[in-house]
Amino acid sequence: MMKPTTQKNHWIKKIGQLLNHGDRPWFGLIIIMSVVVIAFMVAIGYMLWIDSGPSRVAFGLSFLQPTTDPSWDPVNSNFQAWPFIYGTLITSIIALVIALPVSLGIAIYLSELCPAWLRTPLNWLIELLAAIPSVVYGLWGIFVFLPQVVTPIGTYLFDIFGNVPGLGSFFAGPIPESGASRLAASLILAIMIIPTISAVTRDVLLAIPNSQREASLALGSTQWETIWKILLPYGASGILGAVILGLGRALGETMAVTMVIGNSIEGTISILKPGYTMASIIANEFAETVSALHTSSLIEIGFSLFVMTLLLNMLARLLVWSVTRKTPQEARA
Amino acid sequence: MRKSLFVSLFALLIAAMVLSACGTAATPTAAEAAPATAEATTAPVVAGAATATPTLAPGSVQVNAGGGTFPLPLYTQWTYAYQYVDPSVVINYQGIGSGAGKSGILDNTLDFAGSDSLLSDDQYTKGKDLQMYPTVASAVVVTYNISWAKKFATPAGAGTPTPTAPTTAPTLILDRQTLVDIYNAKVKTWNDPEIVKLNPALKDYLPAATITVVHRSDSSGTTEIFTKALTSFSTDWKAGGASAVEWPVDKAGNGIGGKGNQGVAAAVLNSKNSLGYVELSYATSNSMAIASLVNKAGKTVVANAASIASDMTDFASAFDAKLTANIVDGAGDGSWPITGYTYFILHTTSMTDCVKAAKIVEFIKWDLTDAGAAAAAKKLGYSTLPSDIQTKVLTALGTVTCNGQPVK
Amino acid sequence: MTTTSYSELLKKGVERRRVSRKGTNGFMLTLTGALTVLALIPLFWIIGYVFYKGGSTLNLAFFTQLPKPVGMTGGGVLHAIEGSLIVTFLATIMAFIPGVLAAFYAARNPNTVLGIGLRFSTDVLSGVPSIVVGLFAYALIVKPQGHYSALAGGVALAILMVPTIIRTTEEMLKLVPTNLREASLALGAPEWKTSISVLLPAAMDGVITGVLLAIARAAGETAPLLFTTLGNERFDLGTIISSGVTNHQSIIQILGRIFSSPIDSLPLTLWKYAGMPYPERVQQAWGVALILLILVLATNILARVWIEIRKRKLRG
Repeated sequence: MMKPTTQKNHWIKKIGQLLNHGDRPWFGLIIIMSVVVIAFMVAIGYMLWIDSGPSRVAFGLSFLQPTTDPSWDPVNSNFQAWPFIYGTLITSIIALVIALPVSLGIAIYLSELCPAWLRTPLNWLIELLAAIPSVVYGLWGIFVFLPQVVTPIGTYLFDIFGNVPGLGSFFAGPIPESGASRLAASLILAIMIIPTISAVTRDVLLAIPNSQREASLALGSTQWETIWKILLPYGASGILGAVILGLGRALGETMAVTMVIGNSIEGTISILKPGYTMASIIANEFAETVSALHTSSLIEIGFSLFVMTLLLNMLARLLVWSVTRKTPQEARA
Repeated sequence: MRKSLFVSLFALLIAAMVLSACGTAATPTAAEAAPATAEATTAPVVAGAATATPTLAPGSVQVNAGGGTFPLPLYTQWTYAYQYVDPSVVINYQGIGSGAGKSGILDNTLDFAGSDSLLSDDQYTKGKDLQMYPTVASAVVVTYNISWAKKFATPAGAGTPTPTAPTTAPTLILDRQTLVDIYNAKVKTWNDPEIVKLNPALKDYLPAATITVVHRSDSSGTTEIFTKALTSFSTDWKAGGASAVEWPVDKAGNGIGGKGNQGVAAAVLNSKNSLGYVELSYATSNSMAIASLVNKAGKTVVANAASIASDMTDFASAFDAKLTANIVDGAGDGSWPITGYTYFILHTTSMTDCVKAAKIVEFIKWDLTDAGAAAAAKKLGYSTLPSDIQTKVLTALGTVTCNGQPVK
Repeated sequence: MTTTSYSELLKKGVERRRVSRKGTNGFMLTLTGALTVLALIPLFWIIGYVFYKGGSTLNLAFFTQLPKPVGMTGGGVLHAIEGSLIVTFLATIMAFIPGVLAAFYAARNPNTVLGIGLRFSTDVLSGVPSIVVGLFAYALIVKPQGHYSALAGGVALAILMVPTIIRTTEEMLKLVPTNLREASLALGAPEWKTSISVLLPAAMDGVITGVLLAIARAAGETAPLLFTTLGNERFDLGTIISSGVTNHQSIIQILGRIFSSPIDSLPLTLWKYAGMPYPERVQQAWGVALILLILVLATNILARVWIEIRKRKLRG
């Protein structure tokens, strides 16, 4: 028995139909939002490319090339980014060298050895290390870590290696009393990237099927031998991915590094001297450039940073995915 | 019910964000302002309330300014006191460096700028109607932090002859050439013969340590004053006189960059055996050691109001039509060789918000004429303008227009 | 003559190797534990020191007053607290909506061109150095608008937050059992209703955790705010609101003024004060560091506790 269609029922029917076809607007909405996210990525790359145009044209590749006599001269509009590139690379690499064994140790402990009740609290504590804001690291660095740890280490390194021919230039010059140096930046970066590398490595290790462990133990290996000779090689590509993610984070780190590296555009390779990184020079000079070429040079440095981290991230994701075969873990970069 | 409340709040928020994204929030025009009676508030530093008609509600007008850290301690005091003089305007001055101030006024992200670095011809052309107004002058001093090689002798008891060795660290004396040599990395250690020659009493006390030379890492008017002085001191200084230069000490490996005057002061305080250049008040308020300089006339001078004033008199007629002057390396006997003026930079004809423009001009006039403002400047070690220059500046301020109408 | 047979020699060799392998095993495993402890030392050192140094700075005035010029006692960081709240709030709103919606698409169509592109962009955006994002926000908003603003800072932080939100939301959506979705569709609900009323609430715990963690990260970022918000020691919500009310401005206008004015924030203030030679400013820097740490710790704890509570609820 059908009710006669009254005016009110008619509208209710109409709205009902609209709601049932609300799928279209919904899909439209989520598609638009996805496009927006992609658009932002493209926009960032595009803006960096365009705004670095003047300096790319003016300096070409020599902007980025290593040189023993670098020039960053706002007065004469002559810019070379090598001191910053070197600073970024050397601090990140040293940070990696220090962080890798520690992170591996943590990951192994957390995935293989840790008693179950300790696992969650420890995981949380390691994550907390990553959650501390960069400026707080910098503040602690300036007033606590540098005078108490970096300066003694730097003085020690200088005493031992400073006068060795060849290697000496890497450890040249006494470290400034305040500790502000590339070494300081490297050490703080190491602390900051340990959570990144260890979290991903832990997940990689956890994803390795137990059959591998059981087989190895059945053949008579000790636990360490299982880890070292079976598990680590099995997850090697994933661990490499973790390392690359950590490297990506180290490259882009700005605040803590700026506060402890000394901000000196100098050309030696010594890690005991104050230096500069790509992110730091942008942070310090962008607001107050003296010429359009100056601005463009800084943006070109930003563009190089963007490209570096982009390539590293892609590589890392590929590697981690190949081991875990599931959606990669969220990792901060 | 709750859902619809949530949705409407949300919509309101989005509308506000869109509004702020599409245009600046309008400051209330004089016509809109409710004629509120001026509140009697106690002014801690200054006397005299501005008589602005009609009075706006407190905090109605927001003025954003930024620039050099050279005058920052003074401007912080002035803007803080001014909120009691005229509560309707809130002036936010950020010490971002003279270079950032100039950039800000050029791309109109700031309402006015503070700078001790002069605008270049290019910038005048680009900015079309920019004008610099001097406010105060002060000294750039060399401050240092030395770990002495030997302890200073304890004062002898009564009755014994006065000891020949100094009992407390006497002030370091540097001359113009030596300063250039230090910043050129030619003089690298504290016990270099050049320094010892000027300070014979300190011969055994100066350590053999490397001098950590601190400079600015940002584009700075203080740097401009300092490097212009170095250029005048000696032809050995080749890096030029500008707000950002390539520092020879960086290349030599004993240089450190600090952000802002406060960054340089902090760097010197935190690094043993270091030396850096800062505006006078940063050194005095932190009780830092200030070097005496041997000026052009060959006399050893200390940085104080008298030596600054002497240098200003040396260049009394140096103000050009643009109301700027370079006053480094004065020839007078008592002149401090590294002195400079600091300026406000304004657009003179192209401001469109006339209420704001009026408030800015009023603030600058108050800075220059109010007795309390002058007292605050003197207390911090800044020197106010000589009266004829002040008259010129006030006259120039009177010609600022907004939308064609002169600003009151 | 002491002849050791070949088998005895073998046994001795095996025994020695077994002992040395066991020794290596014990040593290495203890080493990993030691390295874990080593990594946690800076954590406790930083937290301890910040609490120790900053604790004495925290008083009521610190939280409720604007800063006073150097040389005057008292004053606080109200401007920074308000600023951080406003900018983070703006960033959360601007990141949450596109983030969650895009995650729906990623969960639904992961293998289309758009889905792959979306995943790629998320990866790229999560790796962009925050200073570069600040540059972008400056070029996009500050320069065309002609002034620094809280909105520009919010946009910069939102760009940093979006990848995290997309990733966590997508994972959470994937974890929702498919039969839930199928049941809803079988009952006749259109897809959009299924997503909003069924899937989203089911994934909400994880989504909220992800958003909380993204907020904690954004609240601590400084570099993107350097070129976007300028800093503002005179910012006072109270004054802006009261002057707006007196001047008969609508709520939208007042809000608009708040969002478009230069603003300070806790990390920015910390960065400024840390480099100053004035002891009172450095002391205040420690206080701000403490506030930031408490914020971060509290958010992390909150996120964990929330997960635990919801887990318990699901179980019984």
